[in-house]
Amino acid sequence: MLKVLFPTIMLLPLTWLCPQKKLWSLTLLYSLMISFLSLLWLKMPLQTNWTHLNLYMATDHLSTPLLVLTCWLLPLMIIASQNHMSQEPINRQRTFILLLTSLQIFLILAFSATEMIMFYVMFEATLIPTLFIITRWGNQTERLNAGTYFLFYTLAGSLPLLVALLLLQNSVGTLSLLTLQFTNPLPLSSYADKIWWTGCLLAFLVKMPLYGTHLWLPKAHVEAPIAGSMILAAVLLKLGGYGMMRIMLMLEPLTKELSYPFIILALWGVIMTSSICLRQTDLKSLIAYSSVSHMGLVAAAILIQTPWSFTGALILMIAHGLTSSALFCLANTNYERTHSRTMVLARGLQMVLPIMTTWWFLASLANLALPPLPNLMGEIMIVTSLFNWSPWTLLLTGLGMLITAGYSLYMFLMTQRGPIPNHIISLNPTHTREHLLITLHLIPLLLLILKPELIWGWTA
Amino acid sequence: MADYREAPLATRPQTLDPNEYFNLSPEYRRAEEARAGIRANLKRQYQTQLNNPHRNELIEDPALTRWVYARTNPYPHFRATTKTSLLGALFGVAPLFILYCVFKTDRDRKEEQIKNGTLERKFTLSS
Repeated sequence: MLKVLFPTIMLLPLTWLCPQKKLWSLTLLYSLMISFLSLLWLKMPLQTNWTHLNLYMATDHLSTPLLVLTCWLLPLMIIASQNHMSQEPINRQRTFILLLTSLQIFLILAFSATEMIMFYVMFEATLIPTLFIITRWGNQTERLNAGTYFLFYTLAGSLPLLVALLLLQNSVGTLSLLTLQFTNPLPLSSYADKIWWTGCLLAFLVKMPLYGTHLWLPKAHVEAPIAGSMILAAVLLKLGGYGMMRIMLMLEPLTKELSYPFIILALWGVIMTSSICLRQTDLKSLIAYSSVSHMGLVAAAILIQTPWSFTGALILMIAHGLTSSALFCLANTNYERTHSRTMVLARGLQMVLPIMTTWWFLASLANLALPPLPNLMGEIMIVTSLFNWSPWTLLLTGLGMLITAGYSLYMFLMTQRGPIPNHIISLNPTHTREHLLITLHLIPLLLLILKPELIWGWTA
Repeated sequence: MADYREAPLATRPQTLDPNEYFNLSPEYRRAEEARAGIRANLKRQYQTQLNNPHRNELIEDPALTRWVYARTNPYPHFRATTKTSLLGALFGVAPLFILYCVFKTDRDRKEEQIKNGTLERKFTLSS
């Protein structure tokens, strides 16, 4: 555990002190080395749940895939930001990488935390670097509004969580996940207990996001620079899912009755947000709403608490993290050439940038959950477990998958096919850096087809 | 060819309206020429930008910018009319309640069957 955490902490002085010429290559290689080190966490013995145990941190089947995804994402963020940051003064470049690295540190601590308060503090701490990244390096004036929405939605959702966790500490005596699994079920019967239940989950539902509280997400994703969008879509949303999975074991038996509104909101949100995707003019906004749609499935799956649904949720979280991040990178390649996110302005790119079309194609196929990609594995397991919960959910999830296929193909056809607009006369050819970035997103996704046991969670 | 007669149910197209060509006041003609001048200037500006060999960015279309802004910021201009309230209730409020009723009755029925022991598990994998 420390063999990954200390190098990441040491990346902070490195970004501040290394020579200017070598800043990006050094940080990239260092973070790539850290991500390869993090692959060691993937050796998870099934019998002892918690491995790499230390006093405050541990990894288990749920947190390991998310930790590896987090560590994998930092070099990708550095590759993606290199171009648009090259115009900035050197100190601001250093600050940017510093913010990305500190975000990485907080995320590693959050996912590996064994104590719920540490998880909560790290959960809140990830907001700050993200807020800086969105509001300082975003491209439009709306970024201030986006940062405000992002910060206050998440904070308002998570302050009840603090109270709820402290109450839990008072009644059970411990908040260590290692011991919470073995405590007796709490006698949850009064009205206040129902409010406690909601308080525990609200923070994570806002973060996921659940359909009713999702307004911060399109704003934050659209206004953030590419690294901000990547980390938001790939990892920060999954913090919500991970937190929900962890806290669920304390929330029985109220979940049987109280989860209905949230499952319904999540499933209806799948349909509503995927329909909104079909009407979007802004490319990044489309990808952001598709994130809400996929996370709605994950939220519904976590709330029904069956082993298959947890597995499906975990697989979909990892696969969606990689896919969504790849789509944001592709949208960014468009943005860097045309400086506009409007989809109608940059069409017919298949004629101009054919290899980029291949990546767009693969990423769109991954988004619409094509077999045998892990996206499909996750979605199928979620849909099946929801069907077992109640057969009527198939209408919603099936329609959702259909509309997902619709808007993914719409996005692909809109950006790649058709005639090139007359006013585009020069587009930079695709840089090798951009090819590398997308391949580094898609190769883990393709490799996971071969060994999905890594991201299955506890299901043997 | 026969003389043009108006179709009994269709409106006359603007280019065949005699008032477009006759009985035009000088002010109208001057305004029309001014408008034509503005249009020609806009076209010239677009063509200059289009054919500029050193241009490597997109030509900015203010109409497109306004359209995109309008599409992305509908909320400040939202008004609660009957149509919007009905749409909101139909797609935002009613489905939640309908789905709650559907799921609750279905799950309660299954719970009854489990309690009575009559549930037939058709797709069980571990038998």
